Parts: sequence; C-alpha cells; structure tokens
Amino acid sequence: MLRVRAVFEKTGRAKYISHLDLNRCMLRTFRRSGLPIWYTEGFNPHPYYAFALALSLGFESKCEILDFNITDDNMSMNEIRDRLNAVMPEGMGILSVEEQKLKITAIAKAEYSFSMVTDEPEELMKDVEKLLSGESILIEKKTKKGIKTVDIKPDMEIIGCEKTDRSVDMIMRLPAGTQTNYNPTLFVEALKKSGAHPFEDEKFVRRAILCGDNTVFR
Amino acid sequence: MELKEKIEKHLLEVQKPSRYIGGEVGSIIKDKSKVDVRFAFCFPDTYDIGMSHLGMKILYSLTNERENYWCERCYAPGEDFEAIMRENDIPLYALESLDPIKEFDFIGFTMQYELSYANVLNMLDLAGLPVFADERGDELMNIVVAGGPCVCNPEPLADFFDIFILGEGEEVNLELMDLYWEMKQKGCTKLEFLRAAAQIEGIYVPRFYSFEYNEDGTIKKMNVTDGAPEVVRKRIIKDLDSVYYPENFVVPFTEIVHDRVSVEVLRGCIRGCRFCQAGFIYRPFREKHTDTICKSTKCLCENTGYDEVSLASLSTSDHSEIDPMLTELIDYTAKERINLSLPSLRVDNFSESLLEKIKKVRKSGLTFAAEGGTQRLRDVINKNVNEEEIMNTCRISFAGGYTSVKLYFMMGLPTETDEDIVGIADLADRIIDLFYSIENRPKGRGVQISISVATFVPKPFTPFQFEPQDTKEMIEHKQKLLMDSVKSRKVKVSYHDPNVSRLEVILAKGDRRLCKAIYTAWKKGCKFDSWDEYFNFDKWMEAFDECGIDTSFYANRRFDYDEILPWDHLDYLVTKEFLIRENKTAHKAVTTPNCRLRCSGCGVNKKVGRECFC
Ligand code: SF4
Repeated sequence: MLRVRAVFEKTGRAKYISHLDLNRCMLRTFRRSGLPIWYTEGFNPHPYYAFALALSLGFESKCEILDFNITDDNMSMNEIRDRLNAVMPEGMGILSVEEQKLKITAIAKAEYSFSMVTDEPEELMKDVEKLLSGESILIEKKTKKGIKTVDIKPDMEIIGCEKTDRSVDMIMRLPAGTQTNYNPTLFVEALKKSGAHPFEDEKFVRRAILCGDNTVFR
Repeated sequence: MELKEKIEKHLLEVQKPSRYIGGEVGSIIKDKSKVDVRFAFCFPDTYDIGMSHLGMKILYSLTNERENYWCERCYAPGEDFEAIMRENDIPLYALESLDPIKEFDFIGFTMQYELSYANVLNMLDLAGLPVFADERGDELMNIVVAGGPCVCNPEPLADFFDIFILGEGEEVNLELMDLYWEMKQKGCTKLEFLRAAAQIEGIYVPRFYSFEYNEDGTIKKMNVTDGAPEVVRKRIIKDLDSVYYPENFVVPFTEIVHDRVSVEVLRGCIRGCRFCQAGFIYRPFREKHTDTICKSTKCLCENTGYDEVSLASLSTSDHSEIDPMLTELIDYTAKERINLSLPSLRVDNFSESLLEKIKKVRKSGLTFAAEGGTQRLRDVINKNVNEEEIMNTCRISFAGGYTSVKLYFMMGLPTETDEDIVGIADLADRIIDLFYSIENRPKGRGVQISISVATFVPKPFTPFQFEPQDTKEMIEHKQKLLMDSVKSRKVKVSYHDPNVSRLEVILAKGDRRLCKAIYTAWKKGCKFDSWDEYFNFDKWMEAFDECGIDTSFYANRRFDYDEILPWDHLDYLVTKEFLIRENKTAHKAVTTPNCRLRCSGCGVNKKVGRECFC
C-alpha cells in the first residue's frame, strides 16, 4: 500500500467550496479518477482520505495537503497526480504527489498573505505599525469552553508588511496544526478594533504549511 | 467593475456561496465569441432545488452538444443574496459565463409547480427585464419561454411569456433555436419570429390568442390571430431508447436535494390514477431497454463520481424488464460500492432472488401511497392498490425487520364521505394488528405508523379536472374527524397546509385573468411560496381581491363538461371525451384497467399513429 501525500491548490472560484463540501468533492474526484484508493475496514467501509488543515471559506491556498492510501504498490506518483488532475474541479490542481514523510503532528504553523484595501494606505500603515509595536494584541477567541481572551502577539511572525497605492499588504505566520490554530482574520479584527483607518480586507491566501523549524511540511 | 468582481465582493456574506459562482465539475464553458445563440435555462427556485431537476440536466447537455449554441444555468437567489444583488446593482446572471441573462437570446423557465409562479416574475425583475412580455420591446432578443408540466395550462402565466413549449423538449427546443438563428441573421423582428415559431408543433405563442367571457365568468370564445393554429399539440419523443441522454451531470459542491445520478427508465404511466396529472400529460408509456439504462448508469457514475444512483420514472415497477434490469443494476452498484436508491416498488411480480437482493440494498423505510381510506374511494380514484396488497407488503417488510410504515392519503377527493375518512384510521389500526400477529416480527420495538394527508388538488388534463376542491370548512371538518378516529398512539397524523392546496388549484385551473393577480401578489412580496417560511396566503388573497377575482370560481366550482376550459385549445393527446368518460366512471366507483391489460381509448394511440402496447 502506498501512503500518499498530495499538495493541491485551491484558487479562483474554488475558494468558495466550504470544508464540508470539499470532503464530498474529493470523494467524487477519487471516484472519477478510478484510482485504487484504500477503503477503511469494518461494518461501513468508506474511502480513507484526510486533509491536514482546514481552510477557511473564502481563502485561497497554494499548499493544501491531502493524505490517502493507494492499494496498488506499483503505481507511480506521477500517474496518481495526472489521473487526479484530469478530474479535479476548476481551481483545484494537484501540485505534487509524494510519499508521506512527516506525521501530521509535525505541522506547527502556516503562512498567510492578505490585503487591506483603503483610501489612506499611509494612515493605515501607521495604525498597523502602532498595533504591532504595542505590548500585546488581544483577541477574543471562541473555544469549546466559551469566549477566551488571548494574546496572539507572541505567536505571530510578520514576514512582510508593504504599502501599495491602494492597500497595505501583509504576510504573516501563525500557529497551525493539531494544537493551536490562529486565523489571520483575528489580526484583522484586532486592527479594526484598535480604531485603525477604515479598510476592507481581501485576498487571503495560505502560502505555506510549515514545521516548527520553518521548513515546509511534507 | 466587472460583474464577477462585484459578485465576489459580497459572496462571503451569504449562505452557501458556492451556489452563486459556478465552476462545478461538468459545467460547460464555451467561448462566447464563437456562440450564435445563448440560452439561459432558469429554474424558478433556489439552486439546491433546481440543480436536482432531471429535465434541466437533459436539456442543458443536449443544447450544449451543439457547438454554436450555449445553454447556461440560472437559479433564484436566496433572500440574503437577492438583497445584496438589488443593493449593488448585480443583475441576475448565468452560472457558466457569469454574464447577465439580459444579454441572452432565450430565457427559459421550467415550470414544475404552481407555487413557483411568483418566482418567475421576481427573476425577470432581478434580470432587469420588464415582467410583462409586451413591454419587452420588438427586437429579436430575450425570448422568454417556459416548459414543464405546468404549461399544460399556462394561461395564468400568459402575459409574462413569449412562448410556451408543450411536451418533451428534446427536439422542439433545438428547432426553435434553429429558427431563431436563421431569422436573427436575416434581421427579423420578434413578432416575425413568434409568428414563424407558432407554426412549429408544440409551440404556443399566447399573444396570438385572446378570450371572451360569458356573464357568469366562464369562457365564451377564444380568438386566434396571426395565423397561429387553433389547437396546439404537445411534442413527444417517439423512440425513447435512441433519444439523447446526458453522459455527464453538473456536480454541485454544496449539497442539493437529489444529490445523485438519476437515470430515466421510462416515460408515461400505464396506471391512469384519476387524480394524477403526470399520469395523463406524459402519455404514451414508453420505456428504455435494460441495456440503455445500465449503460447510462455506468457512464454517469464514472463521469460524475457520484456514489448514489436512483431511477427516474413515474412507476419503475411497470418496466417490462424490471427483474433483469434491477438484477443487473444491483450487481453493478454493489461491485462499485454505489448506493442504489429504489423507489417504492410493487413487489407482487418479483422473483425470490431479486427480492433477496432488494432487501440488501434498501435502507429507507416503507412508504405507501394509499391515497384513499376505503376500497370504494380507491376505486373512484382508480388507485389500483387493494388492502390485500398493502397488508402483504407490510407483512413481508415487518418480517424483514421494518417497524415503521408511512402512508400517504389525500383528503377532499371526489365523492368522499366521512366513512372514507374514518377508513384511514381503520386501515392504520389493521396494520398495527397485523404487526402484532406476525411471529417473527422485530422484537423489542413497537410499530410506528405515520399518516400524511394532503388536500386534493384537481388538475387540468385529468378526469378530475372538472371537480371542485373541498372548501376550508369541509377540510377542517374532515381533519377533525380523522383526529377523533385515530385512537392509537402508534399512529401519527400530519397534514399539509390546505391553504397551499387552495392556491395551487386556483393557479392550476385558472385562466388569463389571473395574470394581474399573480403580478399583484409578487408586487406585495410573494415569492418562494412552496417554502413554509415564505408562504403568505393572506397576501395572495388580498391580491386576488384587489384584482376582483373570486377564487372560489376556480377552486370550489364544478366545471361543466361542455364548458370551454382555459386549456381546451392545448392538445396533450388525451381527448376531452375520454376525460369526461373517466370522470363519469369515477362517480360510479368503477375502475379502469391499466393500459397494459386493456387500452381504454384515451386517444393517444390514434394521434401518435401507433398502438401503445402490441
Ligand atoms: S391509447 Fe390506450 S394504451 Fe395508449 S395511453 Fe391511451 S388508454 Fe393507454
């Protein structure tokens, strides 16, 4: 049995496919591909596949990870990739297919980019800098036990923060994986709450899924 | 800003956004510069419902087979998205190109139920088009057409449409588009096109017909102009086996009502239940061969990736090759781990081995459309199911482990008396007794009988088209009587809203004078009337009132046999004489055998030019 890890993109109109719908969509994609995917055993066998990280509705991604098993040991990774790509929906291409190396638990963070569109990029940039230079960035996070206030600042890594003539564009890394998951919209909310110049956030993209040492998760 | 950008700007604010942006697997994208005629196929309800509709899937694929024609899909937006569209000047658009449907040559609606009429007006309005056909200009463009079962009496919709397409669309739709393209190239006007279109069999152009009325409100006379035919006959496909069937469906991302492959096995029905419009307007009975059905199933499952398939027909058990067909389908689907969802089947003529196989795949509980509570009433409506059959099927199912039965009934059927209502409760009691009389019944659990009761809606082109619907008072009396008759707590009774049925019958049996009431109701905000949470009976009644329409004239009046009915100029192959004969037979509580046993001369065979069964 081949333990396969596929990296796929989710761009364009595909970003409106919710996580729940993506599950069903992948099931049908596998069926269309005719690949010998491994089924779980037991009373109600179903094809086994798992997404490493859920992606928020409306986010694009260049690095979604999908694990599944192929029962034919002799099948080449290229064949698996090509057969899936032939039947994937628009905007959802398989970028690479490899054998699974790391455990899912090795995922530690994810990198996102997004734009904040405003009529006063200058002003907004100042507001961003002010928020980032503060002591903490407190957000309210819904947990199973209710609403909790957390400081996301210690876990936030700013990779880029650029002003254009219409927006402030940011790239940041945030905790992701089985333990803590922060969404970049948390930062956006905090910025809005801080009284920043009005802006509209858009074009959220997940750029990479990373391990603790900043290497790409594979 | 481009329309796509405008849409995307707000898409995340609405529920299930993937319904509004297209891009599904199986959707067909063409280069519009190479397309001659564009057809926006609209379903007057939301995506979840419309995407489930088989007829639309067939015609979508069929039209797109033609390289120079492009058929796209369009559905009614949910209330949240509609508000955004109106606020941000987003016109109604088609899902493939995301172009406004106002730019399309044809805007076609499929009319599946009366309660979607107001949605048509809302969609035309959202598209930025006048809802009245005569306000849409004389340029050859935006031809608004409708098909589907409701257009067998399209009169209440006559003012809003340019063309009604009667019967099956596989051939006539393309003929219509061919004619359009030919005349468009010649620079013809809309009127010239409509005149020519009216000469095609199956095409009804309502503006060429007008009505005069008697003092009592009935129709006095119909006038025809512009050389249109006096009678318009519906179209049928003669050879169902060779007719086009799609090899692929558009596969939605979000869940829809019927989220599976659907394979057509036959058209028409041999049964002739007298209340059932489908049983008459889809005649004659035609079936596909087992081979064709199995090939379609396999091909569609492979191309769509669905793991569920259902068979589409009015009565699958009446297929002449039902045994080999199901055997082959069950074997294929089991091997491929596909669920085969089987409709309620008549089990009387099945082989033992097939019964065994069916038992394995069937998951849903047992449902029975008994329709009437006593044998006399079932004979009146020609529902050829007797108590012995109901009991037999229940016995087999109880022994097989089932503990719940769902029974469907209608209330307000012609000739119905209190005895028939009490009969419903009695039947339920006898099923309970039966359950406890079975030795190997499921142990530890009691039996559960659900009774679902709808109010009878008399429909055009049925033997009951002449019948009045029960008034509100009559229905309330019968509902109370049934409640009082049900003694056992193992029996649960539920009712459909009788007001819904009342609106249905008005719209189904109405004439052209209703157009302005539909318009008024829509203006008052009526839409999505088939949804409980939107249905507003009072607003509809206000609209009828304001337009001076007496609804009981349509709902509670017996139409005379020799009265000119609003749909008399439309020919659905079944003759009016036959419907009258059947109506009389019904009142004598005499049944008519099914078409396979004996032809009862409905007229279809003569018009089609061949016998239905040889
Ligand atoms: S012509 Fe005879 S067999 Fe054919 S549909 Fe009519 S009644 Fe049935």
